[in-house]
Amino acid sequence: MESISITARGLRRSFGQTVALKDVDLSFTAGHMHGVIGPEGAGKTTLMRLLLGLLKPGAGTVEFSQAGKPVDFDIVRPSIAYMPQQQSLYPDLSVGEHLDFFKELYGIERKAYEVKRDELLEITRLGSFVSRPAGQLSGGMYKKLGLMCALLRSPRAMLLDEPTNGVDPISRREFWELLYRLSDQNILIIVTTAYMDEAERCGMVHLLEQGELVAEGRPRELLMKENVRTFDELFLRRGGHG
Amino acid sequence: MNRTLLGFIRKELTQTLRDKRMRVLLFVVPVIQLTLFGVALSNEVKNIRLVSVFPPGDAVMQKIHDRSIASGWFLPVSTQKVFSDPFELIRSGTADAVLVAPPGGLTRALGRGDAKLQLLLNAMNVIEAQAMESYVSAIVQRTILEDLRLDPPEPSIQVNSRVLFNPGLETAIFMVPATLAMVMIITTMVMTNNAIVREKEMGTFEMLISAPVSPAEVIYGKTIPYVILGMSNFPLILGVAVFVFGVPMRGSLLVLVLAAFAFVCTAVALGTLISTFCKNQQQATLAAFLFLFPMIMFGGLFFPIENMPVSIRWVAYLDPLYHYIGLLRNIMLKGGGHAYVGTHILALGLMALVSVVWSFRRFRTTL
Repeated sequence: MESISITARGLRRSFGQTVALKDVDLSFTAGHMHGVIGPEGAGKTTLMRLLLGLLKPGAGTVEFSQAGKPVDFDIVRPSIAYMPQQQSLYPDLSVGEHLDFFKELYGIERKAYEVKRDELLEITRLGSFVSRPAGQLSGGMYKKLGLMCALLRSPRAMLLDEPTNGVDPISRREFWELLYRLSDQNILIIVTTAYMDEAERCGMVHLLEQGELVAEGRPRELLMKENVRTFDELFLRRGGHG
Repeated sequence: MNRTLLGFIRKELTQTLRDKRMRVLLFVVPVIQLTLFGVALSNEVKNIRLVSVFPPGDAVMQKIHDRSIASGWFLPVSTQKVFSDPFELIRSGTADAVLVAPPGGLTRALGRGDAKLQLLLNAMNVIEAQAMESYVSAIVQRTILEDLRLDPPEPSIQVNSRVLFNPGLETAIFMVPATLAMVMIITTMVMTNNAIVREKEMGTFEMLISAPVSPAEVIYGKTIPYVILGMSNFPLILGVAVFVFGVPMRGSLLVLVLAAFAFVCTAVALGTLISTFCKNQQQATLAAFLFLFPMIMFGGLFFPIENMPVSIRWVAYLDPLYHYIGLLRNIMLKGGGHAYVGTHILALGLMALVSVVWSFRRFRTTL
């Protein structure tokens, strides 16, 4: 199945008097790994929710295409996986029970599920924690489980909202290795993060600040263009908090 | 005051009072409830449907009947149907109490010195039955003293009560079916409400609505388990009612199960509807409590609905507990009249339908 591209045009969303996203234009290309980078409150989560239709935009549109042809959201929706920022798993359900639940939720055939489940348990190295409740997993394992649940349905696009937030450096590295493996499978991956060092791991970065898109491009090219060595430096120079 | 303590108090109050819904639940709902309860709830039994059976020209019996109606406790029943057996008036639900004069009339019997007045009572509600008995005794006494001007100590008219459906006037037989209904609503409505709101509060809801599942699948997926749990609980508590408390089972078990199913579906649907108004578990718990309280008050568990002002009785008619308690008592104690059972199961079904449709309309697939 073809990977999915997403284009946002003039996306705007306010919460009361606060404008969370200001007329943002963004393109996420099929098969690439995009990083949406910005400090806390930059509008990253709002952007993800708007892309998925979980929030209604005040203005603007989100368009989807597959194999270069525009498609309705309802058609590609089953192929888009989402991992929310906040704790989104059931603390009293074990790793295995989570996978079983999401298998039912996505309507995956038993045989296909068993193959996928074993594969995911192997690459995430959670095989020996199948019966451990999610509430008793470490931060890194918890995030991996969230990713596994999202990956069960073999998505063609993945939206990960701050997946490494609050995770120790080793687990963060493991998590990114997992994402690289997925990226090799021609899946569109959109990752939001407030960790500036993670920006350099993406194929394409989009810098958000106070709801505005302030820069975008390939990480190296962007740093060279802005004449800085790191994204931390870039944000500090811009007066951000990152 | 201790500054730490002050800090805690301020923080709690800020959190609790910040949300408009919480302010409504805390300050507006109790005022409405108190007003409603104050007007509607009374232990005094009124509007008892009375039929007096006596031959024409029985002056004493006519006096007792007239005094009964004039007391305001009783309502005369006009029926076209002729009942050969006065018990049938109670069994058919035509009357709550029947006064039966002795053969030849009470006036003649009084002349013979053998005035025995029979009182037939519907004792499905023990409190009502006891009240009816004492009202009739008081009316007969006043008739003896004021109309017949006979002197005590010996009562010249003896009232013999015959109690139907609960001959021993056992409180347990009357209370247990109602308590069964109350237990069922707690395990269904409250649990459903809390389960859905917990999903919202934990953040798992975001994952669910972002998945390719329809709102109907989410709603049914969250509610059907509680219908199953509610129904699997039913035989257990029914068993306790019948075998431990000795509540008779005179009607059809199948009809009783059908009534329980209708009630459980209604309670779960109501729990779902309430959950669409709540953001967090604190609100859900408070909302469930604020719903449960009037439901119990208007359910006929403690206060007879017939006593309430007509304008407020509709609150009881909208209360699933009122219908279910009525159904349980009717089926278990009386055997279950088709018309009664059909009407109340239909009422529960309608309530469930309205709640489900309303929940669907309120259920949001956006945050």
